Amino acid sequence: MSQREVRSIGTAGWGRTLTAAIISLIYFFPVLFIILTAFKSRQDALAWPVKFIFTPTVTNFVSVFYRTTVEGGEAEATGFGLYFFNSLFIGGSSVLLALIIGTSAAYAFSRFPLKGNETYLFMILTTRMMPPIVAIIPIFVLFRIFGLSGTYVGIIALYTAFNLPFSVWMVKSFFDDLDRDIEDAARMDGSSEWKVFRKICLPQVYAGLAATFVFAIILTWNEFVFALLLTGTQTRTVPVQIVRTIGGSMGVDWGLMSALETLFIIPVVLVTFALQNQLLRGVTFGTIRR
Amino acid sequence: MELTIGDVAKRFGAVEALRGVSLTVNSGEFYAILGPSGAGKTTLLRIIAGIEKPDSGHILIGGRDLSDIPVRARNTAMVFQTFALYPHLSTFENLAYPLREARVPRDEIKRRVGEIAEMLRLTHTLARKPGTLSGGEQQRCAIGRALIRRPQLLLLDEPLTNLDAKLRHDTRAEFKRLHRELKTTTIVYATPDQLEALSMGARVGVLKHGRIVQVGTPADLYTGPGDDFVASLVGDPPINLVTGTLREGNGGQSIDLPFLGLDAAPWRKALTGFPAGTKLKVGLRPQGIWPRGSSETGPGFPAKVFLTEPLGDVTILDIVAGGDTRLRMVLPQEQAYKIAVDDPIECAVDLQQICLFAQDTGTAIHRSGAEAAA
Repeated sequence: MSQREVRSIGTAGWGRTLTAAIISLIYFFPVLFIILTAFKSRQDALAWPVKFIFTPTVTNFVSVFYRTTVEGGEAEATGFGLYFFNSLFIGGSSVLLALIIGTSAAYAFSRFPLKGNETYLFMILTTRMMPPIVAIIPIFVLFRIFGLSGTYVGIIALYTAFNLPFSVWMVKSFFDDLDRDIEDAARMDGSSEWKVFRKICLPQVYAGLAATFVFAIILTWNEFVFALLLTGTQTRTVPVQIVRTIGGSMGVDWGLMSALETLFIIPVVLVTFALQNQLLRGVTFGTIRR
Repeated sequence: MELTIGDVAKRFGAVEALRGVSLTVNSGEFYAILGPSGAGKTTLLRIIAGIEKPDSGHILIGGRDLSDIPVRARNTAMVFQTFALYPHLSTFENLAYPLREARVPRDEIKRRVGEIAEMLRLTHTLARKPGTLSGGEQQRCAIGRALIRRPQLLLLDEPLTNLDAKLRHDTRAEFKRLHRELKTTTIVYATPDQLEALSMGARVGVLKHGRIVQVGTPADLYTGPGDDFVASLVGDPPINLVTGTLREGNGGQSIDLPFLGLDAAPWRKALTGFPAGTKLKVGLRPQGIWPRGSSETGPGFPAKVFLTEPLGDVTILDIVAGGDTRLRMVLPQEQAYKIAVDDPIECAVDLQQICLFAQDTGTAIHRSGAEAAA
């Protein structure tokens, strides 16, 4: 049934809870290490043996936004705010677009199959069968010709295209799992085809849409190569900026890097937490008999 | 509204789901469609509902051809075998859905949902989602959603299949009561269960491999099955079908069963022209076999008890007669309690409850009118 109880220690047992906690800690350790380093001074960050007890400082976070780039120079704005916004804006809008277009396509593929439906679906899948980097030269040339380099429209369109096959396939599987009788019942109750989609089918796959959204946003959020080549100074995303920070004239500033990365993971963590209930239902969709 | 189905056929790829079904359901009638799974019951209902389009044939409701009228405008409601409740909506919203789609004013929706919830004892569940309801509540919610629009035609597709035994019994009575209260609503009820069909249907249409093989009142079907298929479908426990051989004696025709000789006189007219040695299927109702010496008498034979199924009020006996012929009989408890497995038993058959069928086609061989009445 669709009710799901929140499992507490009581139902899982102490042994399992402890095991889960240890495994989580092992997986979480690198992330924890980055977060700790973000709050360390330069000396503490480089200290050996590694310090776990230290006086926290927010210098690194300030440096993310304002710092000197040449020895002895004035502190300047780094533009990180803009890049952060760019990542959010480009990632968010391309994933949303992919989800909207993908959901429409998925519903059509699922409910109104064409002649050669499977072929079309396979063709969509083939676009994910090679590493995207293979297409970099034609894409680069295309962007040049159409003047899309360095524009929001260009990079958003590209990310939308990359996210579409995944969205279509994933959302289609959610639609396929729905009970068709329910739609027929709605038709008999007087619903038009649009209402059947909007009021009956769509609400039933919200969990699936949330899961698809999270998977797609993580992929897009992390994307580096295309962002490096196709964004300009005004549309640069955070992953590109992180790499540019490594190669400063003053060597690798581990504290600064860690602060950048800590800020970078916050939105993904927030989205995942906000949607975690939906996500659980989404990834187990169809595997549990309802 | 009267429902007329004329020569409706439907195939899905290589499967012929319906092969020319014709039937008429009178206005306000409770019509049961009885058939084993795969007979085409659901397809027939879906075609009547308009969800599925027939390959050929026509559907008239109240004399109007519905071929070109979209599903949503037909004023036909259906209760699905799976209930098909909207899982993301509360009971209230499930019940209100057809009314909202019909643009019924808000306060009237509230009033009518309240009424139907009261009638179906769903008031306490109105705020809950279908996933949290019990099977019976889900089913009543599905019925409520179908009834709330006051449809002229109500289609029920095996609505009791997903309920437990006790609930089924209660709900059968409930359906009859509902039908009486609704008065003008025509109900078509599809089921694989002969008990449901006979107990509720004013008339029953038997569907086999996409064809209606017999239409009649429950009593018609039980006492005068048109063929061996109907005979074995109707009645519980199922009828015993034994192969017999026609014999020509000096006193007239008789039928040889492995354990018994029967006088064929009641079927004389229908059997004229059948040569001696013709194989026949003989149907003996379990209710028409008694232990010899009880008040009723008839031709008798010895048998041995193979196994017993005590059901409380009656006991079903599996007996072996004439070497290896297995037969079922039903005994009232007071006659059965001292009978044990492997006991020998002397049986008698009720000639009135014997049906004859042709061996190859299974078609019924009817008694001659005069003798049947006698």
